[in-house]
Amino acid sequence: MAATTHPNCAIAPPDLLARVASQGPAAQRDAALAALAASASMRTQRSLLGRLRQHAGDDVVNRLAGLVVSAVRRQTVYDNQHQGRSFLPGVRTRGELDGPSGDPAVNDAFDGTAATYDFLHEVFGRDSLDGKGMELVSTVHYGVDFDNAFWNGAQMVYGDGSGELFIKGALTAAKEIVAHELFHGVTTFTADLAYSKQSGALNEHFSDVFGTLVKQRHLGQTADEADWLIGAGTLVPSLGRALRSMKEPGTAFAGDRQPAHMDDYVELPDDNDPRNDNGGVHINSGIPNHAFYLLATTLGGQAWGTAGAIWFRTLTERLGASSQFVDAAEQTVQVAKEMFGPVEQSAVEDAWRQVGVLS
Amino acid sequence: MRVSVVRGGGIAGITTRTTVTGDDLPAHDVDTMSRLVERAGVRRAAPAGPAEGRADQQLYEIEVVDDSAAVSVRFGEEDLPREVRELVAWIDGRPERTRELLT
Repeated sequence: MAATTHPNCAIAPPDLLARVASQGPAAQRDAALAALAASASMRTQRSLLGRLRQHAGDDVVNRLAGLVVSAVRRQTVYDNQHQGRSFLPGVRTRGELDGPSGDPAVNDAFDGTAATYDFLHEVFGRDSLDGKGMELVSTVHYGVDFDNAFWNGAQMVYGDGSGELFIKGALTAAKEIVAHELFHGVTTFTADLAYSKQSGALNEHFSDVFGTLVKQRHLGQTADEADWLIGAGTLVPSLGRALRSMKEPGTAFAGDRQPAHMDDYVELPDDNDPRNDNGGVHINSGIPNHAFYLLATTLGGQAWGTAGAIWFRTLTERLGASSQFVDAAEQTVQVAKEMFGPVEQSAVEDAWRQVGVLS
Repeated sequence: MRVSVVRGGGIAGITTRTTVTGDDLPAHDVDTMSRLVERAGVRRAAPAGPAEGRADQQLYEIEVVDDSAAVSVRFGEEDLPREVRELVAWIDGRPERTRELLT
């Protein structure tokens, strides 16, 4: 029901609306709920929900919570039923206002996507990947034993894993994996870093940074408490403990070639050869990843608060398709100066110096 | 005949090679593999130029080695023709396949 059809509700104070929603005539309750959901900012709505619990029934509070969420976050999870590319997105399985599914993969994708949306909105004030409230579409059970998760330019796609490379079900269960993929969407709508060599490694880097920050915020961890691993526990144990380590690049799994310093940069061609990883995008991302880890642990506290804010503004406002490591370094230094001050600026410079990007 | 599927990229950036060798197959399955290779057009495929990279999508190389020649062809996840997907699925489904990590 649209709030505009009830002008009296649209201009009424929130506390009056809350009273109408909980105690008013039945015909006016839905209108009051809709007006509450539509008229306040996300922060105000959340505050109001807390106050409402003191004098309105749980039924009213829960219905308002549903309306609040649906007003800003829209997501749907589909089931590919192992049919692959020709059956995307698949069978609709869970929408924003639906309760949990009986399928853990569906619920994991839903929860990880919700955590990522909320991180974007509540920490940086961004409404979805495009900043315009786009629906977040996820497909689970893609293909047969498919060992990957990816953003295809329009939606998220998750395989189950084969049990030989990825543990079955692990890709959707890891919040940093879900957030990593969704942030490829943010990058597409902002810097649109070309997925090749250094700009591609930056594309990977920003997804790793915000992937781990979504996980750290979900767990309530400070920089010192976080594991700084991407995909912890997703690989079969005989292969390794994670896909990447931002703290110790090159140590996550047997054969991990990630460098932590420009002296060890791995020069690879971008030639469609699967061995060359689009010019080493998942390899050389270790260098900026380590710079971010050094900065976050130097500053201490919640890494999304200062380091994350600098990186987010840099990604969304300062970089372009062909940006290189040195561009990211120079822009984060400048953004740190603008957003915070000389202490943070110096810390950013020092982090990039330690990995050899700035001299 | 030996058919290998090399996969790289993906969210992991890990490269693997999955291989089925005709010597390990019953005769009628060797015929099936030959027919799938022919349908996939691996021997006729033109060399692929650099494709636009897409975040975390896998890259594939199909290698076919027999007595007369060794050929290979590369695709991105989104560009895999249906006939090549069928060959890959068949290889993945064979109990005789071997899988090795290249990185």
